[in-house]
Amino acid sequence: MKYDILHETVYSYESPVVLSQQLLHLTPRVVDFQRLGAHRIEVQPAPAETSTRDDYFGNPVTQIMLAAPHASLTVHTRSSVEVLARKIPSASEPWEQARDRLRAGGGDRVSQALLEPMQFIYESPHIEFFRDLAAYAEPSFGKERDLLAATLDFTRRIHADFTFDPKATSVSTPLREVLAKRRGVCQDYAHFMTGCLRMLGLPARYVSGYIQTTPPPGKPRLIGADASHAWVSVYCGGAGGNAVWVDFDPTNNMLVGEQHITLAWGRDFSDVTPMRGVILGGGEQELEVRVTVTPQ
Amino acid sequence: MMRELLANYPAATARYDEMLGAPQGTHGTHGTHVPRAHWQQLFDQLAAASPEALRERVKWVQRQVRENGVTYNVYADSEGADRPWELDTLPLILPADEWAGIEAAIKQRATLLNQVLVDVYGEQRLLAEGMLPPALVYGHAGFLRPCRGVRSPGGVLLHMYAADLARSPDGRWWVVDDRTQAPSGAGYALENRLVISRLYADLFRDLRVQRLAGFFATLRDSLAHWAPADGAAPLTVLLTPGPLNETYFEHTYLARYLGLPLVEGSDLTVREDKVWLKTLSGLQRVHAILRRLDDDYCDPLELRSDSALGIPGLVQAARRGNVLVANGLGSNLLETGALLGFLPRLCERLLGESLKMPSVATWWCGEPAALADVVAKLDRVVIKGAYSQMRVEPMFGEDLDERGRARVTAMLKARPQMYVAQELVQLSQAPVCDPQLSGAQLRASAIGLRVYACASPNGYVVMPGGLTRAATGTDARVISMQRGGSSKDTWVLSTGPVSSFSLLKRETGPQDLVRTGLNLSSRVVENLYWFGRDSERCDGMARLLRVALTRVIEEGPAERDKAWSGIAGMLVQTGIFSDRDAPANEVAIARALRAAVVDETRPGLAGGLKELLRVASQLRERLSRDNWRTLNQMARRLQRDRGRQIPLSETLAELDRDIVAFMTLSGFALDGMTRDTGWRFLSIGRRIERLQFICSLLQQALAGPADADLGWVLELADSSITYRSRYMARPEWLPVLDLLVRDVHNPRSVYFQLKGLNDFVGRVYGAFGITDTTADSVSERMDAAVLALESIDPGADLRHGSARLAALLQEWNDASARLSEQLGLRFFSHVGEVNRQTFAT
Repeated sequence: MKYDILHETVYSYESPVVLSQQLLHLTPRVVDFQRLGAHRIEVQPAPAETSTRDDYFGNPVTQIMLAAPHASLTVHTRSSVEVLARKIPSASEPWEQARDRLRAGGGDRVSQALLEPMQFIYESPHIEFFRDLAAYAEPSFGKERDLLAATLDFTRRIHADFTFDPKATSVSTPLREVLAKRRGVCQDYAHFMTGCLRMLGLPARYVSGYIQTTPPPGKPRLIGADASHAWVSVYCGGAGGNAVWVDFDPTNNMLVGEQHITLAWGRDFSDVTPMRGVILGGGEQELEVRVTVTPQ
Repeated sequence: MMRELLANYPAATARYDEMLGAPQGTHGTHGTHVPRAHWQQLFDQLAAASPEALRERVKWVQRQVRENGVTYNVYADSEGADRPWELDTLPLILPADEWAGIEAAIKQRATLLNQVLVDVYGEQRLLAEGMLPPALVYGHAGFLRPCRGVRSPGGVLLHMYAADLARSPDGRWWVVDDRTQAPSGAGYALENRLVISRLYADLFRDLRVQRLAGFFATLRDSLAHWAPADGAAPLTVLLTPGPLNETYFEHTYLARYLGLPLVEGSDLTVREDKVWLKTLSGLQRVHAILRRLDDDYCDPLELRSDSALGIPGLVQAARRGNVLVANGLGSNLLETGALLGFLPRLCERLLGESLKMPSVATWWCGEPAALADVVAKLDRVVIKGAYSQMRVEPMFGEDLDERGRARVTAMLKARPQMYVAQELVQLSQAPVCDPQLSGAQLRASAIGLRVYACASPNGYVVMPGGLTRAATGTDARVISMQRGGSSKDTWVLSTGPVSSFSLLKRETGPQDLVRTGLNLSSRVVENLYWFGRDSERCDGMARLLRVALTRVIEEGPAERDKAWSGIAGMLVQTGIFSDRDAPANEVAIARALRAAVVDETRPGLAGGLKELLRVASQLRERLSRDNWRTLNQMARRLQRDRGRQIPLSETLAELDRDIVAFMTLSGFALDGMTRDTGWRFLSIGRRIERLQFICSLLQQALAGPADADLGWVLELADSSITYRSRYMARPEWLPVLDLLVRDVHNPRSVYFQLKGLNDFVGRVYGAFGITDTTADSVSERMDAAVLALESIDPGADLRHGSARLAALLQEWNDASARLSEQLGLRFFSHVGEVNRQTFAT
């Protein structure tokens, strides 16, 4: 599938911002199932400085700085992306086996291939461990159940138990509260699922991206369109080097496929926030974000 | 004498004694313990000293500490007060050969830890090789991912390292903890040295105690050496989290000692991926940052987003190699007890040698085998947080009852990777001179030693000394300044002549000579300005209160003459009397006046003093020691009087002392400071405040009856003596007004202030090449104010009831307020704002 994506962000400030530094995770990552065509980030007013690099996780990031006083900041990102079908294995291995492979102690040599998933089994700024996370996940992870089947079942349960509610949470709502309310947006769904899996010792990444806005004929419109989306990538390791990351979308109870466009991945929202910044001045501010994903 | 000295000093049985050697002969009794050779001279001196002399020394040291303002902020203190630093009169003495062993071990350990750090933030080969368990890196909140790949000039990320050492009963030294974030205490060690070396000047020289200065010079010169070069002399700054930090005193002390500007995050800004200091004359490039701010707080853009303390963009500047940050961002990673167990193998692998000094046995519960082991022997270990940012209080297994053990075991099993267990260390003991004990007696105290190393192009250099900390609380197992420990100077003896060397000294050339002070940071200048204003405001307030109190004490309400209405007017204006209900009776008047002297929460002198001290604390590294002594005396006065019901006569005496102190401060400003731009801002502050005071004073006096006694006006303007020497008569309006308005030689007159302001403002604006051409320009307005004053006709205008004089007083008052505002806008405004984080999805 090919898509044209327009991601618009507008900040309006009560009083002028004299200095603004922003880190943008707005460039879709190039991976074997995704190609990036034309891509442009337009910033108004024009930044004094712009630079690009890859972050720690290999995501493209753009850093901008505006040093002249401004009352509003507009960032328009246009991307053409082609999403290819992913190779998703039909079965994996007992989940305990996947877990135990990553339990390296001092003295154990670790292959480079395993170091990568090992980054994603610990706590992170938005994901704090607590007992109830594991307890919630356990019913799906029966003894020696296949990891893929278990995670699919787990995805289904989260979708069934939780209510999508943009008013219930903010970017800083802790997982405990999300679990207590069983409400939230796709970020909360993804954080919650990631936290549960990591507590079981399974590597899980937080993925930031988009989802197709207009549904294919006859299909319902998906939740999370018109805004940036988030889901979870789970390491489904195989012993023979056929390791793959399989993505699950708990907000829509589905395996991630050609309808999802990947921006970036990391441990949680804090690693891949689409636009994270520090400003001087500004007073009260208003933020408007619009995302349009159109199939070509 | 010796017997008496040691009457309360228990012989060490299960621990090592730093001072006394093993008993000679088979029957170990008190008397047979003998001082070790390197303690003999100090011991003899103590034994020969009278109890009074020993007590005198304790007092002298306490006084030095107080007067030098050495403090330590205690988080737990409800008042958030600075606590005086605790310093024992007896140093810890270490002989040269023993020190050589410590020095070699610390050098090796610093080298090793630095290599581990460089690997983890670079290739991560140690992880793949299994030399480091991945959980220790990936599961460590101190692993700052954005800092991977940041350049490390010279292969150094760990510029300053400290190790906490303990000595076991057999005399061996062990490492208890590594400090790699931003080790504290070296400045306190320096301050301890300053005091104690003066106490034993002769002994200090005879014993050939090694000097500390060379170490600090090496640190400073090495930073300059590795800082990015752009042709200019490298500028290194010391970055502090601010006055609320527990070791802020040390930051100011080190900044002054090393000659580095002390800055907070808001003083710096990043442009073009370079770091700049906001100065009066604009942005000045910063090449190196010696940080005392925790690394995760250093950059709200890329690191922790919930802090306003950092410098947005710093990581990128460091990544590009445009600034040297010491210690490297991310160095907190090594502050984990979990690493200790892996060091012997890492040392073999990386340095090809065995670890010279062992770590106290430590088990990381993240390893399943270790966890089971720890649970089994819980009563013989202390449980600590695995990562320093957890701020977990150590838990001693032996203190736990049945339920406690169950609770701790459950805690360990729930999140094993977050905890380490450490073997209990039987700390060595050293003598402490305790003023509480009667007679000349020593007490034994458990001690720990913190030693320091800094990186240099020739390898790590170890500070020949350290910070010895002694337990004073009941719990001798934990030594912590937070818990009320005391400290000692640490003497490392030398066999050869003591040298004070400096590596890498970069000669200052003529092109580096600085005269102007234009590179002062905006924050320093703003604080200097307010320091000037606040000290002058307090001075005026104290004089006003003295005049008022004298009248209240000496005269009844009936005798109080017509002048009282003017004094009361001033008291209302300063907020000491509230506007509507000026005190109706004598009791209320006395209460209000006393409150203004002692109660910091009300408008008045005490509140003003508190503000003055706050501003001064921000200027710590700019003010001389003598300035500090004066300020500290006033701080103690405030503390002493807090909430006390002091008699009016004593209140008056306090005011006298305060006024002398303000005169002293003003003397320092006049005679002890270089007349650079910073000094001019301080002086402008003083002049503006004094101008407003004198204008208000004259307005209040003129508002009263024409036949009121003017003695109080002269007293408040500190001009009584001049007046009497000139006129030798009762004060009258014309000569009083002439003296206080027109006399350019009277440092309290309006004319004197205006002339001074005009001159300073002209120089400051001139220095920055500012030509102000707006209609309401500050300099034009000041010129106009001077001209108006010079055109005064004494006969017509200098009298009670003159409309022109009233208008002029108001105009001068307004002009000074406007000047203050303009200076703020032009020179200070950009540091007041706070960074805010924003997120968009």
